[in-house]
Amino acid sequence: MMNVANLALQQTPPILVPLRFFLTAPIFALFACGLGLYDGFSLFTGRWNLEVLALTHLITLGFISMVMMGAFLQLVTVLTGICFPRPQLMSVLLHGFLTLGTLCLALGFLIPQHNLVSMGWLSLSVAFGLFLLIAGYCLVKAATTPITIAMRLAILSLLITICLAIVLARVFSHGIELNMPEMLTNLHLVWGLIGWVSLLIIGIAYQVVPMFHVTPHYPQLLMKWLVPTLFLTILTWSIAYFLVNLNYLPHIVATSIGSFIGLELIIFALSTFYIHRKRLRKIPDVTLNFWHVGMMNLILSILIWYAGEILSLTAYPFFPMLLGILFLAGFILPIIQGTLYKIVPFLVWLHLQNQQMSTLKSVNLIPIPTMKQIIPYKMANYQFWVYLIGLVLLIAAIFWINLIYVAVAMLTFAFLFLGYNLYRAAWMYWVMSNKFTQ
Amino acid sequence: MQSITQILTKEHTQCDQLFVDLEAHVAKTQWEKVQPGLVQFLAGMEHHFAEEEKILFPLFEERTGQKMGPTQVMRMEHMQMRQLFQQMRISVEQQNHEQFLGESETLLMLMRQHNAKEEQILYPMLEQVFSGEVDDLLVQMRTLPAEG
Repeated sequence: MMNVANLALQQTPPILVPLRFFLTAPIFALFACGLGLYDGFSLFTGRWNLEVLALTHLITLGFISMVMMGAFLQLVTVLTGICFPRPQLMSVLLHGFLTLGTLCLALGFLIPQHNLVSMGWLSLSVAFGLFLLIAGYCLVKAATTPITIAMRLAILSLLITICLAIVLARVFSHGIELNMPEMLTNLHLVWGLIGWVSLLIIGIAYQVVPMFHVTPHYPQLLMKWLVPTLFLTILTWSIAYFLVNLNYLPHIVATSIGSFIGLELIIFALSTFYIHRKRLRKIPDVTLNFWHVGMMNLILSILIWYAGEILSLTAYPFFPMLLGILFLAGFILPIIQGTLYKIVPFLVWLHLQNQQMSTLKSVNLIPIPTMKQIIPYKMANYQFWVYLIGLVLLIAAIFWINLIYVAVAMLTFAFLFLGYNLYRAAWMYWVMSNKFTQ
Repeated sequence: MQSITQILTKEHTQCDQLFVDLEAHVAKTQWEKVQPGLVQFLAGMEHHFAEEEKILFPLFEERTGQKMGPTQVMRMEHMQMRQLFQQMRISVEQQNHEQFLGESETLLMLMRQHNAKEEQILYPMLEQVFSGEVDDLLVQMRTLPAEG
């Protein structure tokens, strides 16, 4: 007999469980922008600059992981039907330690101050450790589907990312001179950005792309094999890359294996375009625009990486910056913003609707705002264009540094705008929710 | 012979198609096409709900003794969708396309995640509980009188 209790009535965790993460993320993006406005020129001097490290972590931890954790806590319950214990408390703890850890780490890099970096990684270890426990608890109990497989492998990649981060942080704190940091850093960022973030994006895409835009499902064969293959390729590449650095293998071996990672990501991007083309719902949609920009930049970043390897451009300082910007600001950030524009208004609506149903005062029903009243289409669409212009300027600034301040100013505006749209939605929730409880 | 999951999933797909056609007509403010589109879409949805609420869910609850389990969640979501249907009817009467598109966006999210839960979790459960009597149930579902 199957577990009939799978679909519990109280399936949706309280709205603050995911929302506190979504509302914090734009603030961290603004911190990152502030850093760019403070000293934009020095940011582009190379990837080893401590300000670049601070900025990267403000974005990857404070924005990307922040949203992904919130989304994960929400989705894991809905998709697997498994509720984790004490969702409110867990969410407060995860959010608190992630926020504290990110701030300490970024400040520790900026000042620079070893103790702050240590406090940062300790706090982040608690946040991610707890997150791994919760996610592990839900995913072990969950039925095996392509989505839960992607979630499991994403979580495993996160574990590897954190282990590498701890080693790196200790190297930093103790000022140990090793010839390994570059290798460890590259492993850390590949496991973080492609393992943790991209695998989770792919898994979530399997569910949400058909849901948002009434498309067919991704091809069965792809759903079954892409994520496990990608994970194994990253693993194989890591071993090869490690051996290359010890001079046991020629450079070409790691690069060749690495090129398969790119190929697999391109397959994902192309299949997303393919099913988007077959979508039944053709009306304008800002989430779709964000996803298209994201997928185009994913493909572009991989093609440029291939070109760089062939033309031996990888040693130029601009090259990793270009790849980083295309992948982070061009691929991951648009996907996240586009998805927030669906999840946040829907959650607000759903929780208000549930409250209304449970108050049972159906005689004088208060009309609940629709998703497009909670975040108006026009506002989301303007924000999309502001972000897109900021992104293009940022890419251009790599080649013409004078554009950097205009680019960062535009991105600051974009994240202020995103914050406004999200906080306005949250505010609507509180106003309406108070009416129900009165 | 088709399975319960196949038949009900096919109905979801048909309703999705009716939904997107209706929404597209509203977006282009082709009100002469909207009214029949709305009637057709709502008839499809109500027929599908009736098959579940009048035949499949009660039998499932009887067999498993689970009255407050997954079927209850599904009924509640049907209720939420029906509230939106009502609002959409009013928006069509008032020819208020912006209001309608907000409601349809909300309905789509609700409907698609509802369908996903049914297709991925509930229908396979139904099949397990009803194994051996699917043919009889399908006859009952086909002969269900049309809803008003």
